[in-house]
Amino acid sequence: MKGAMTAWLPAWRQEWRLLCRSRLALLALAVLALLSALAVTSGLREVQRQQASIARALQLQQADAAVQAARVAAGRDAGTAAYYGFHATWDLPAPAGFLAQGLRDASPQVLRVRALALQAQLHEGETHNPELALLGRLDFAFVLVYLAPLFLIALLYDLVSSERAAGRLGSLLALPGSQALWWRRAALRAALVFAALALPVVAGAWASGTGMAALLLVLGVSAAYVLFWAGLALALVGRAWPSATNALALVGCWALLTLVLPTLVHLGITRAVPAHQGAELMLAQREAVHGAWDLPREATLERFFQTHPAWRDTAPLPAGFHWKWYYAFQQLGDESVAGRVAAYREALLTRQRYTTAAGALLPSVAVQTALHRVAESDLLAQLAYQDAIARFHERLRHQLYPHLFQDRPWGVQAQAAWPSFQPVAKGQAAPAAAAQALLLLPLVVGVLLAARRALRRVRARP
Amino acid sequence: MRAAWNVAVAEWRLMWRDRVALLGLLLLLLLASVAALTAWQQRAGAAEQRARHQQQMHDEFKAQPDRHPHRMVHYGHFVFRPLNPLAAFDAGTDAYTGHTLFLEGHRQNSANFSEVRQSSLLLRFGQLTPAFVLQVLAPLLLVFIGHGTLAREREAGTLRVLLAQGLAPAQLVWGKAWALAGVALLMATPALAALGALAWFSPAPAVLAWGLAAVYLAWLGLWALAVVAVSALCRRGRDALLLLLAAWAVSVVVLPRLAAELASAGQPLPTRMETDLTIQRELAALGNSHNAGDARFAAFRQAVLARYGVQRVEDLPVNYKGLVAMEGERQTSELFVRHARTGFERQHAQLAAVGDWSFLSPVLALRRSSMALAGTDLQAYQRFMEQAESHRYTMVQALNRLQAEKLTLQTDRSSRDDRISREHWSGIADFEHQPEPVASLLRRAAPAAGVLLAWWVALGALLMLATRRLARGQP
Repeated sequence: MKGAMTAWLPAWRQEWRLLCRSRLALLALAVLALLSALAVTSGLREVQRQQASIARALQLQQADAAVQAARVAAGRDAGTAAYYGFHATWDLPAPAGFLAQGLRDASPQVLRVRALALQAQLHEGETHNPELALLGRLDFAFVLVYLAPLFLIALLYDLVSSERAAGRLGSLLALPGSQALWWRRAALRAALVFAALALPVVAGAWASGTGMAALLLVLGVSAAYVLFWAGLALALVGRAWPSATNALALVGCWALLTLVLPTLVHLGITRAVPAHQGAELMLAQREAVHGAWDLPREATLERFFQTHPAWRDTAPLPAGFHWKWYYAFQQLGDESVAGRVAAYREALLTRQRYTTAAGALLPSVAVQTALHRVAESDLLAQLAYQDAIARFHERLRHQLYPHLFQDRPWGVQAQAAWPSFQPVAKGQAAPAAAAQALLLLPLVVGVLLAARRALRRVRARP
Repeated sequence: MRAAWNVAVAEWRLMWRDRVALLGLLLLLLLASVAALTAWQQRAGAAEQRARHQQQMHDEFKAQPDRHPHRMVHYGHFVFRPLNPLAAFDAGTDAYTGHTLFLEGHRQNSANFSEVRQSSLLLRFGQLTPAFVLQVLAPLLLVFIGHGTLAREREAGTLRVLLAQGLAPAQLVWGKAWALAGVALLMATPALAALGALAWFSPAPAVLAWGLAAVYLAWLGLWALAVVAVSALCRRGRDALLLLLAAWAVSVVVLPRLAAELASAGQPLPTRMETDLTIQRELAALGNSHNAGDARFAAFRQAVLARYGVQRVEDLPVNYKGLVAMEGERQTSELFVRHARTGFERQHAQLAAVGDWSFLSPVLALRRSSMALAGTDLQAYQRFMEQAESHRYTMVQALNRLQAEKLTLQTDRSSRDDRISREHWSGIADFEHQPEPVASLLRRAAPAAGVLLAWWVALGALLMLATRRLARGQP
């Protein structure tokens, strides 16, 4: 045992010393660590900014609620109170949100709703700068997916060819355990790349209170992705090509895997799964809601009672305007497009499913999907927020309707009893993300096997 | 001249025999062609769908039955952001901005159903358009193909031989630059063909298509210069390759994102909810137009009574409720316009901060001028939003005027039962987006194109320096 130790340690120490002699390699690692730290810090700051901006909006909303309460105290009825009463909903960033900004730059994190038709309110957008969104963010997901492979390529592309060019390859191959040498060198570089990426993430997770499961997942995904690229590099650099050709081939693979193929997959998915149901449901919903003004009121209420029999045996409509008719046709408007809403949602979920599936072939996509899932900034998180809004909206109606249909008086107490929004619980997405990250495993094992095969065939002369 | 041409021809022959270079070039051409065709189809499909929806909305508005005008104010109208024909070349912000905008009284809505909110994160990898291929991939391939063009000769010792045979260093360098420029031109052919087709078959002004062709050729030429200059300065082909790859990765991949990150952190935007609440607060200070008895409208009432020379609103020749609605809409709309303008000003300030980085990362200048010429930048979006807001105001005020003139205080009791004829609806809602004048687009693209020019000058100087070094025999 002791003998094995003494044989094992000096070899690594020797590699470490060799690496330290290459100033370019050390510089590359330092730059990568710096970029990772920059991405993590700006991610943390972005999360803070989002929290602050949500808090600011909610504070403004509270001032508005006070104004509304004063109007109710002055004798406002239930229907009017609900018409002017907006309620805040919000979607706080997840603790791991600093890792990947995802869709949060283009979708609302605060949205006000009232008890009118939901579908006219749910799809509201957020103010954002489209040109900035187009450029993208420098978040950890970007550093990992795009930049880490480039640094690995820079560290590994001449692993074998430099020895050949220096004329040392023949004697190296003649030594026993020459294959272990390549593995040792590559493993050392990959481990350092991983450390450069991971240390800022660990610090960021500590600062943001990210759960252990999420942190382990992120580290696991990063390690798997680094292994994939190290394996791919080894599989190619073992060939008898000159260094420049290795670099060319590797950067070519990188361009294909991170730039070209994902755009092609995206193109395929948008063409295979169109999502025009969104705009169409808005158009149909408006016709349904406003058409009610031209229909007999009793018929509208009758249709409403069919799906809401609880209110059937209430007082008949008086002459003139009554809010219960108004809110009934608002809800009927939502119900008339329920099929389209479901189809729209299904289209978005299908797009997401196809994307996840593409991760089985494209490691860049698998990493993006897993990281954005754990950061809860993906399409699924956006849909979860919309679900929370819909549930809340349901409760608003539930609170309002007895006052309308049973003519219960509204008042300060009723106003104070409006339900408050239940935000989506964050920080529990690690298991789902882990399931997506598992797609990386076959790819990693595949390239490592290819690397082993390639390194066995290293020859001193081309 | 002749000698330089011979150098170029020799270089092309060599590339023709290099299977890797040829394969890369073929792949790029294939990808560019796929990009051109699919982007064309994609744009045509989207534009057709939006135009169809727009027509459907115009028809539906006109087909509404007799109604109270205020019901029509709430019925409102949908407008769809038209898609510029040149978006088939550079889709720009199209996928990141909504295209369906609901116009109604008292409210200013957002344009919704942007592709970015209905796509998975794949969209963030980029969209396959001819612009993407030329901006990102073509320079990379130029580096692949050209990094060794002079460094290889130096490594193999042929450089000394060529110069000893009497070939002037300038001829050699220019010949190599021509060879690479020729490859760049070949790479651009699918995109140029797409632009030609757009200029010919689409209603887009041809000068914009030529403008796009010019900035992209300038961009590729810039990389050809950079590649040859670095190849001339480096001792080994490998060094040239690594240096150029690093330059490409930093300037095309990293800096644009860094610039965006710093710009959005430096000048954050308020949320829509905050802006809405601020507007609501300012509005509360003005008065509620749904309530004609609001104390804040007292001054307005006095002014109206004085204007018509009557004592009571009942004696007015027009419906006072309609006048109040018009006044209310005027006040709210002023706030909407002001806040929307401030919001866009902030966004332009963010982009100006990004633009400062184009002296380090020319791709930012290219993107800026490309999106301006293609009509897919922030300014084009703002133009649509502002025209839509102005249309909303005109439409709502026309309906309010109908309420003032076609109804009286006696006949305007219930917005459900007191109706006017549907013949009034025609012509009120029809929205036609006015595209930006070509001269203004060109003016907008010019500064960024100027930055590209500055890069040309700088790289030209670098190439001259490299040539002089060769001439002094420091290979």
